[in-house]
Amino acid sequence: MQIDIQHIAKLSRLSIENEKVEKFQKEMENIVAMCEKLPPMDGDYTAVDPSKPMRLRRDDVRPSLKREQLLQNAPQTQAGCVVVPKVVE
Amino acid sequence: MELFEMTAASLSEKLRKKECSAVEITRSALTQIEKKEEQIGSFVTVCEERALKKAEEVDKKIAAGEQLSPLAGIPVGVKDNICTEGTLTTCSSKMLYNFVPPYNATVVDKLENADAVIIGKCNMDEFAMGSSCETSYFKKTKNPWNPDYVPGGSSGGSASCVSAGEAVLALGSDTGGSIRLPASYCGVVGLKPTYGSVSRYGLVAFASSLDQIGPLGRSVEDVANLYAVICGRDPMDATSAVREYGAFGSQISRSVKGLRIGIPKEYFGDGVDPEIKSAVMNSIDMLVKEGAETVSVSLPSTDYALSAYYIISSAEASSNLARFDGVKYGYRAEGYANLTDMYEKTRSEGFGDEVKRRIMLGTFVLSSGFYDAYYKRAKQMQQKIAQEYAEAFSQCDLILTPTSPSTAFQIGERTDDPLKMYAADICTVTVNIAGLPAISVPCGTASNGLPIGLQMIGPKFSEQLLFNAAGCFENLCGGFGVAPAMRG
Amino acid sequence: MNYEMTIGLEVHAELNTATKIYCGCKNAFGAEVNSNCCPICTGMPGTLPTLNEKVVEYAVKMGHALNCKINPVSKQDRKNYFYPDLPKAYQISQFDIPLCENGYLDVMVDEKGNTKRIGVTRIHIEEDAGKLLHDESFAGSLVDFNRCGVPLIEIVSEPDMHSSAEAKAYLETIKSILQYIDISDCKMQEGSIRCDINVSVCRPGEPMGTRCEMKNVNTFSGAVRAIEYEAKRQIEVLEAGGVIHQETRRWDDAKGQNFLLRSKEDSHDYRYFPEPDLLTIVIDEEKIWRLKDELPELPNQKLKRYMESYGLPHFDANLLTENPDKAAFFESCVDKNNCKTKNISNWLLGDVSRILNEKNLSLADTALTPEKLTDMIALIEKGTISVTAGKTVLEEIIFSEKTPEQVVKEKGLAQISDTGALAAIVQSVLEANPKSIADYKGGKTNVIGFLIGQCMRQSKGQGNPAVLKELIEKQIENC
Ligand SMILES: [Mg+2]
Ligand SMILES: [Zn+2]
Repeated sequence: MQIDIQHIAKLSRLSIENEKVEKFQKEMENIVAMCEKLPPMDGDYTAVDPSKPMRLRRDDVRPSLKREQLLQNAPQTQAGCVVVPKVVE
Repeated sequence: MELFEMTAASLSEKLRKKECSAVEITRSALTQIEKKEEQIGSFVTVCEERALKKAEEVDKKIAAGEQLSPLAGIPVGVKDNICTEGTLTTCSSKMLYNFVPPYNATVVDKLENADAVIIGKCNMDEFAMGSSCETSYFKKTKNPWNPDYVPGGSSGGSASCVSAGEAVLALGSDTGGSIRLPASYCGVVGLKPTYGSVSRYGLVAFASSLDQIGPLGRSVEDVANLYAVICGRDPMDATSAVREYGAFGSQISRSVKGLRIGIPKEYFGDGVDPEIKSAVMNSIDMLVKEGAETVSVSLPSTDYALSAYYIISSAEASSNLARFDGVKYGYRAEGYANLTDMYEKTRSEGFGDEVKRRIMLGTFVLSSGFYDAYYKRAKQMQQKIAQEYAEAFSQCDLILTPTSPSTAFQIGERTDDPLKMYAADICTVTVNIAGLPAISVPCGTASNGLPIGLQMIGPKFSEQLLFNAAGCFENLCGGFGVAPAMRG
Repeated sequence: MNYEMTIGLEVHAELNTATKIYCGCKNAFGAEVNSNCCPICTGMPGTLPTLNEKVVEYAVKMGHALNCKINPVSKQDRKNYFYPDLPKAYQISQFDIPLCENGYLDVMVDEKGNTKRIGVTRIHIEEDAGKLLHDESFAGSLVDFNRCGVPLIEIVSEPDMHSSAEAKAYLETIKSILQYIDISDCKMQEGSIRCDINVSVCRPGEPMGTRCEMKNVNTFSGAVRAIEYEAKRQIEVLEAGGVIHQETRRWDDAKGQNFLLRSKEDSHDYRYFPEPDLLTIVIDEEKIWRLKDELPELPNQKLKRYMESYGLPHFDANLLTENPDKAAFFESCVDKNNCKTKNISNWLLGDVSRILNEKNLSLADTALTPEKLTDMIALIEKGTISVTAGKTVLEEIIFSEKTPEQVVKEKGLAQISDTGALAAIVQSVLEANPKSIADYKGGKTNVIGFLIGQCMRQSKGQGNPAVLKELIEKQIENC
C-alpha cells in the first residue's frame, strides 16, 4: 500500500522534515503491511455491548477549578483566557 | 539485608514492631537512588520532599497507635503518565516537559490514603509507546541486571526502580505488555489487571480501551497488596467495572492443587528463544509436581493479534494525543506564522518519532475510506480473540506462556526497526485485546545472565487465582529480589 | 424559469441541565471567563468523561415530542478536528447509533390551520465547544472554555421543507416544544439555539439539486434571509449555465450575504470512531415510557386544539400557545367559564401583552390572575363598565391585589345606564349637531357613531354606548 505520508501528517497536524519523509514513508508502509495481515471477517460488527450498560452520572454540581489553577500550565494567557494566534474562520 | 532490599510485607511487619521507622525506610530507598540512579536512570523526578513528608506522617500515626495499611510507609514509584497533583507529570515527553497537574489520578489518591510513600515518577517510553524505555525524551533507563541492556518498556522505570531497590513497589501501565515485559526483563513481578478493575482517571491515555494501571514488586504478596489498594469501582471512570473486590494479599493460598493449566501451542513456536521455552516448560513441570494438571489449548488467532493491537491502539492514540497542541499546557513551539503553523511546529518538535509514527498510523486507519479495512477489521479480530480465550478457559483455569519471546535486548539494538521492536509484545498483547488479567513472574535466568518471565493469564477478574498460582511458584523457586548487582 | 427549493435543517439546542454533559461543572451562561471549568471539560491529560443522566433523559423527551423511535441501546463517538475552542481536539458526539431516530413533526404552515409533516432524521447528544474572543487591540485570539461541555442536542430534519416560511415555522415549533418540555432556555441572544441550513434548488419534477450548507445561523429571521439568499445565489449560478458545487458557506447576517468556507475537497475528515472512554448507553423500556408519559400537551397539538375546539383564528392560537405559561393562563381563564373565549384572547394578546412588553415582565411577575382577568371581562360583557374603563381597571388589577369590582367602585367607573341622566346628554349633543340629524334623516345612518362618541365624551366615558344608541335613535325619530 502506497501511503501519502504528507497527507496523513497534515491530518495529524504534524510536519515532517524533508530528509525524514522517505524514512517515515518506508516505516509506515511496513507497519501498514503488517496490519494488512488481518483477514476480512464476516459477521456484523457494532461497537455496542448492552450486557455492560454504562452507569450515568447524577446531575449534581461539583466545584470547578480556580482559574489560576486551570491556567497554571498554559503557555500564554491574558485577561483570564488562553491566548492563541488570531483565528480567522 | 538492608531496608531497601526488603519486601513491603516484611517492612510493614518491622514498622508494626517498631524495629524501624518509615523515615528510615524512605531514607534507605533515597540513599539507594543516590547511589544507583546515575547508572540506572529509573526516574524522571525524585520526590524526596513529598516522600519524607509522608514518611513522617506515617511515623506519627505509628506513634499514635493508629491502624496501618499494608502499604503505609512503603516507598512506591509511580509511572510518569499517572497524574500527581503538584508534581511534574511528563509522560517522558518534551510535549509535557513542564506539566504540573492540578489533580491526582484516582490511584494516587488511593496510594496516599493508604499512606504509601510516593518516592518518584518513573521514566517510560514516551507516552507509553515502546517496549524498551528508549523513546523517553529525558533519558534511557538501564536494566539493573546489566546496564548495557534495556529494562523493557514502556514501564521501564517502574520495573527498574523495583529491581534496583530504589523503590519497594511501583505502578506501571500496560497497554500491550508495558508492565509485564519490563517486569520479565528486570526479574520482578508485574500484574496487568482485568480491564476495568483499576481506575484510569488521571492516567494520561495512550489507548483508552486497552490501558490499565497495574502494580510491580519483588514478591507476589506485595503486588497483591498494592493491587488491593488500587482496584475498585471509580465513578470518575465510566469504564470502571461495577463490582466488589476482596482483600488480595492476605488471602494467597500458594496452592495449585487440581488447577488445570492451559498450554497454548501458539506461544511456543519458532519465534520464541529455546532457552525461554525450556525455562517456561520447567516451571510448568514444577507446578505439575505440586498437583496442577496441564491441558493443551488453542488460541488460533494469536498471529493476528499484533496487527489488531497496532491498529486499535494507534487509532485511539491519534485521537487521545491530538489535545497536545501547545494551547492549554505543555510545550509550545516558538516562531509560528499562524494557528496551523503553531499546531504543526509544536507537535513536530514536542513528539518523538515513535509517537509520530503511531499518531500517523492511527490517523491513517481511521481516515475516510480506510476505516472498514483496518479499524473495523481489527475490532472484529478483537472480538474473535476474546472468544477464543473464552473457549480456552472452558477447558482450563489458567493459561501459561512466556512473557516475552526473548530476554532483554541491548540498548540501541532495535531502535532502527520498529517492527522488530513491536515483536517484543507478541506474547502480551492478546491479554490487553481480550481485557484479561495476567501476571509475569521471574522463572530463571538465561545464559546471558538476564531474567526470564513466566506469564500466567486468567479469565476476567481472576486476579486471586493468579496470585495463588504465582505465589505457589514463588515458593517453589525460592523467591525473587533486588537484581544481584544492586544489592547492598 | 421556475425553481423549487429544498431545505434541511440541523438545529443545535443547549440543554438546561444543572451540570455539563461530561463533568460536574455548572452549566450556566454569562459567567466570568474560564470560571465554570475543570480538568475534564478543558481536556487535561488523564481526565475522563462521565455522562450526565439528565442529558439522556432530556434527549429522549425531545425524541418522544418529535415522534422518534428511541434507541434503547446507543453509543457515543469521537469527531476529531483541531480547533482552539475544542480542548480535547475531538467532540464527543453520536455517529451511527443516535439516541432518537425516524421521527416527524407536524408544523402548521398556513393560517387556515393546514399542517405539513417534516421528517426528523435523528436526535443525538453532544458537547458544545468553547468560545473564541477577538479583540481588535490584540494580535491573537482569546479562548474562554466556559461553554466547553455544555450539553447539546442536535436535531436533524429530512430535506422536507420547500420555502423559507416552512423552515421558519419548523424552527419556531421546535423552539416552542423545547420550552414546553422545559429542556432548553432557547435564548437566541445567548446562542442557546443555533442551526445549520442545507439548501438546494431544482426545477419542478427534476431530481434534487446539489446542496450547500450554511453554518451557525443564530436567529430564525437570519435563517429566513440565509435561505432566500442561498436559493437565489444557486438559481443565478444555474441560470448563468453554471453548476452548484457541494460546499460549506458562512452566513454573515450583518452583510446579508454568505461566503465560501470550504469546498467538498477541503471538507474535514472527522475520523469518527466509537468513544472508548464511555460504555454503551442502555435505557430500559420502563424509563423510555415513563419519559413519554411525562410529556405535556405540545404547542403544535395545542395550537390545533385552540383553533378547532375554541374556534380561535390561527393568529390568536399561535400567539397564545407560544409559551407554556401564557397558554396555561389562557386555559384557566377559559375554565372560569364566565366570559367569551375570544374576548379572553383579545385581552391577553392585546392590552395584557402590551403592558408586559412595556415593562419587560412575564405574567408570573404580575398580580394578575385568571379570575381577576375574566371577572373584568365579564363586567364589560354585562355592560357594567365600558371597554375604555376596562383598560383602566386592568392597569390597576395587574399590579395590585384589588379585584375588578373594587377598582370599578373606587374609581366610579360603572357605566351610566340610567336613561334619565343619559337623555339629558343626548339632548344637548343633538342640539349642538343639527347637521348630523339632517344627515341621519337623509339616510347617512352611520353618523350615529359620531353622535355616540360625542355623548360618551360628555359622560366622561361612563355612558353605556348601547343605551346611548337607543336614546339617540329615539330622539331623532321625535325631532
Ligand atoms: Mg453536531
Ligand atoms: Zn468541567
